[in-house]
Amino acid sequence: MSLIQDHLGIIQAKLSSGETALTCHEGSLMQGSVCASRILALVEHEGEWALFVFISSRMPPEVFTDLAIERVIPIDNDFKCEIDAGEQSVDVYVNSRKLKLLFKMIPGIKTNNFVSEVMRSMEALTKRCDPPPEFQWLHKYSGSSTSSRSKTDFDTTSSDVTEDDVSKEKMLDIDSPDIVVSRHSIAQGANPIAARENVIQHQMSLKENDYTYTQILRVFIGTWNVNGLPPTSSLTPWLASDMEPPDIYAVGFQELDLSKEAFLFNDTPREEEWRKSVVAALHPSANYKQVALVRLVGMMLILLVQEKHEKHIRNVAFETVGTGIMGKMGNKGGVAIRMDIHNTSMCFVNSHLAAHVEEFERRNQDYHDICSRLSFSKFTPPKVIDKHDQIYWLGDLNYRITEMEPRIVRDLISHNSLGALLECDQLNRQRSQKNVFIGYREGPITFKPTYKYDPGTDDWDSSEKNRAPAWCDRILWKGDGMDQKEYRSHPILRTSDHKPVRVIDVVKYRRVHEEVLKKLDKLENEFLPQVTVDNTEIIFDIVRYLEPQSQELIIANTGQVPVQFGFIKKLDDSKYCKEWLNIDPAVSFIMPGEKCDVKLEVCVDKKSASKLNCGEDKLYDILVLHLEGGKDIFITVTGNYERSCFGSSIEALVHISVPVREIPIGKLVELEKGEAPGGMEPYPIPKEIWFLVDHLYRHGLKKQNLFLLPGLNSELIAIRNWLDNGSSEPLPGSLHSIAEALLLLLESTAEPIVPFNLHSVCLGASSNYLHCKQIVMQELPEYRKNVFLYLCFFLQELLSHATENGLDAKTLATVFGGIFLRDPPRLSARGRGNLSLDRKKAGFVYHFLVNDLSDYVTSKVLHLGPTT
Amino acid sequence: MVQEYDHLFKLLIIGDSGVGKSSLLLRFADNTFSGSYITTIGVDFKIRTINIEGEKVKLQIWDTAGQERFRTITSTYYRGTHGVIVVYDVSNGDSFANVKRWLHEIEQNCDVVNRILVGNKNDAPDRKVVLTEDAQRFADQMNIQLFETSAKDNINVEEMFMAITRQVLRTKQEHKERQAIPKDTVSLRKTRSKKKGKCC
Repeated sequence: MSLIQDHLGIIQAKLSSGETALTCHEGSLMQGSVCASRILALVEHEGEWALFVFISSRMPPEVFTDLAIERVIPIDNDFKCEIDAGEQSVDVYVNSRKLKLLFKMIPGIKTNNFVSEVMRSMEALTKRCDPPPEFQWLHKYSGSSTSSRSKTDFDTTSSDVTEDDVSKEKMLDIDSPDIVVSRHSIAQGANPIAARENVIQHQMSLKENDYTYTQILRVFIGTWNVNGLPPTSSLTPWLASDMEPPDIYAVGFQELDLSKEAFLFNDTPREEEWRKSVVAALHPSANYKQVALVRLVGMMLILLVQEKHEKHIRNVAFETVGTGIMGKMGNKGGVAIRMDIHNTSMCFVNSHLAAHVEEFERRNQDYHDICSRLSFSKFTPPKVIDKHDQIYWLGDLNYRITEMEPRIVRDLISHNSLGALLECDQLNRQRSQKNVFIGYREGPITFKPTYKYDPGTDDWDSSEKNRAPAWCDRILWKGDGMDQKEYRSHPILRTSDHKPVRVIDVVKYRRVHEEVLKKLDKLENEFLPQVTVDNTEIIFDIVRYLEPQSQELIIANTGQVPVQFGFIKKLDDSKYCKEWLNIDPAVSFIMPGEKCDVKLEVCVDKKSASKLNCGEDKLYDILVLHLEGGKDIFITVTGNYERSCFGSSIEALVHISVPVREIPIGKLVELEKGEAPGGMEPYPIPKEIWFLVDHLYRHGLKKQNLFLLPGLNSELIAIRNWLDNGSSEPLPGSLHSIAEALLLLLESTAEPIVPFNLHSVCLGASSNYLHCKQIVMQELPEYRKNVFLYLCFFLQELLSHATENGLDAKTLATVFGGIFLRDPPRLSARGRGNLSLDRKKAGFVYHFLVNDLSDYVTSKVLHLGPTT
Repeated sequence: MVQEYDHLFKLLIIGDSGVGKSSLLLRFADNTFSGSYITTIGVDFKIRTINIEGEKVKLQIWDTAGQERFRTITSTYYRGTHGVIVVYDVSNGDSFANVKRWLHEIEQNCDVVNRILVGNKNDAPDRKVVLTEDAQRFADQMNIQLFETSAKDNINVEEMFMAITRQVLRTKQEHKERQAIPKDTVSLRKTRSKKKGKCC
């Protein structure tokens, strides 16, 4: 809410007096394939409204100088605003004269509010009784505005220019080898990926025809009731009588087999006989592939296409529906095949409808049954016949010529007066009454009725029944882009009592411009963020405790878009890198053609040393460098850690009589695991602690601020080397450095002097000395108890020189409390500085600094002072 | 309005280092091949939109590093994957032997996922050591479709990607059907349509 108000304030500052910014909202203006952020504002001036489009140099704008007016669109009678709300975004189309703009907005209440405000201003205009608004106040924004691209669009002369500009900017040039995209605007940070979908959605709908080819297919549709007879002569006159080979053949038969076996078991040798017969008679100047064959009892449909089309055919499916006896059996009914060829769906239905002259209603019923019951179940939801772009319905539909004596019918036929007969054709009548085949078309019939002949002849039925001739065999179609070329019968085929019928249809089909998809894919791939890194394996040679080392990684943006990169967490890790590694910057932004140096610093300190020492962790990490919206690159960091007494446990150190560097790594790991060392009698305390304390005892009792001032890093390293390697030289470094080394040694262990499991017990006991004493004597592990008491003795000694060194028990108790009672990891993870905890820790240690400890000393006397 | 795509699927290419995963992707997405070997250190993807069964399918195909040391990290990229392409090199027996491990990896990291097995570099018969019959037997055993491809010579690459996409599409449709159609409708249709037909 406050954001909007802030924006409004900034916008208001941009306007002249008398103009009021009523509401504003962010939207993405779609231009070409990019979307760019804009701020839209509804501005009112003395009962007139206008929509202002602002470009902001930053989002959100902070001061009014960030804004430039891009356009001012008066809300007049030509102003239109339409909404297309989707899940992902709300498309706001703003039309004014020839200007068309599309803004994408984020769905939500703010968008709703903004749009409804705009609508309200449009409504106000329609209710206006005054003369139409003149928008005098907007003239100052035309031409003279802050942005050179700005122009107002409400005077006709400039609107033409604008339209040109807009169309140039907005439309994709499909015919050009490359899709024109404003690389400049992408380089400025517009997101091409998100924009891409919008381009397609918006632009394709505008230029849909450019995206689709229309091509022509010749479709041969044939139907023949073969009266249960096997093929006796070649079908070539029927199937291949044209010069040009059809692209598609759909050939339907009825009464393929009238035997009981066929009827009851739906099995017949005729299927293969007729199939072969069809295949043998296909047009000789093309190769055909069978797409599908479907048969139900006597109804068979075979679909073939020229070989060259095969790869464009998809989703082939076939289904059958019986409408015979009990509404089920397959002596009557329909069979159908559907397919998609390119982007056009086609369905072919071959049906044999109910027989007998008077049964036309039954035939209508069969048709409706087939329509409702035949669906291709492989689709979800199942596809019905009607859901196809192009439908062919062929077959022995059995409609007859009624209300006319057979003799008259024959007479009219012989005089070629088909017109009168066609008027009495049941199918024509039923169709004109809209009882059947609604929406279907049929070509003009110029051929003689196809039924009923004496088999083997061209003579009309001479049997007792003396049936009237009829156009039983028909072909109808439904759909766009279909044009029938020839509808005829082939009386020369005399096998049956029916004559075969066929049409050649020329159909147009559409295919999506696959090239466009490819180009856009290419574009999208090109516009994925791309970088190269100079090194994916960063190797640090020897890494030592407290000695940081760094290397640089150069990330170069080699792609076409700005790259936002960041190191990301992997698996269950809590951070994107191990704790001994530092990455700077871990997140950044690189413009195309530019580079970013990333510093990788390895530093083993008190937090990471113990894990590396005991072998729980290694100087090995794989970093995942993630590009926002793009790929990930793995960067391996390795190094050799030189083990040190820092990070070793008290228990391991007491078992080592030589400098740490002199014993093999394996031995050290074993010791850390607590495996029994042979040979030497362990020291009561680690010799390293003794060395440090002894030095302080001898030289530092009177030193001011001991343990309170930090040492020098270089000296700490010298001390580390002295301890780890051994030396005959005296211990190097100042007293402060040595004191800090002692603290570091204690802090670098995996567990503090007071084990984590005693942490809360000790804190709980901190107000009670006896209780504290009991814990120390009975609970602390032996060597840690030794170290604890040894250090307390030493601290008491320091305090006995308080007049010289200025130290006091409380201060030392606070320092050592934090060290002896270091927080367990789960606690320290919660963040630092719990004051009451710190007080308790200090309280615990304090007891041991002010009370007499002489009764603690048992057989193993902890000597202070020089023993060697 | 014309939708840019009907489906968006994520495919993942896995397999030993050097079997040609990136080359397969490059061939499919850009129709190019580069003879020089650059090992993939990380995961990368490309997109391609295809028309399949009348539907526009946008594929986001992820190519992964095959090196052993990255295996635990790459396994995190299996999430949300619709189809996995497991690649071995027909001229490298070890890479075929490792297929089992990769399949296991899929089981560990994906719930239901379509898989396809691909023997790449099938362009030099004299160097071929993984016989088609052996690979086919294994594929049958694991109930997975096998393709032998060559990214270099552009053999079977398109077909392979189409096949896995078709699988994914079918899985999605079946899933939709299970949700969409009440059971009695299915059984009714089955009893009614006594169809007998052939399709080539």
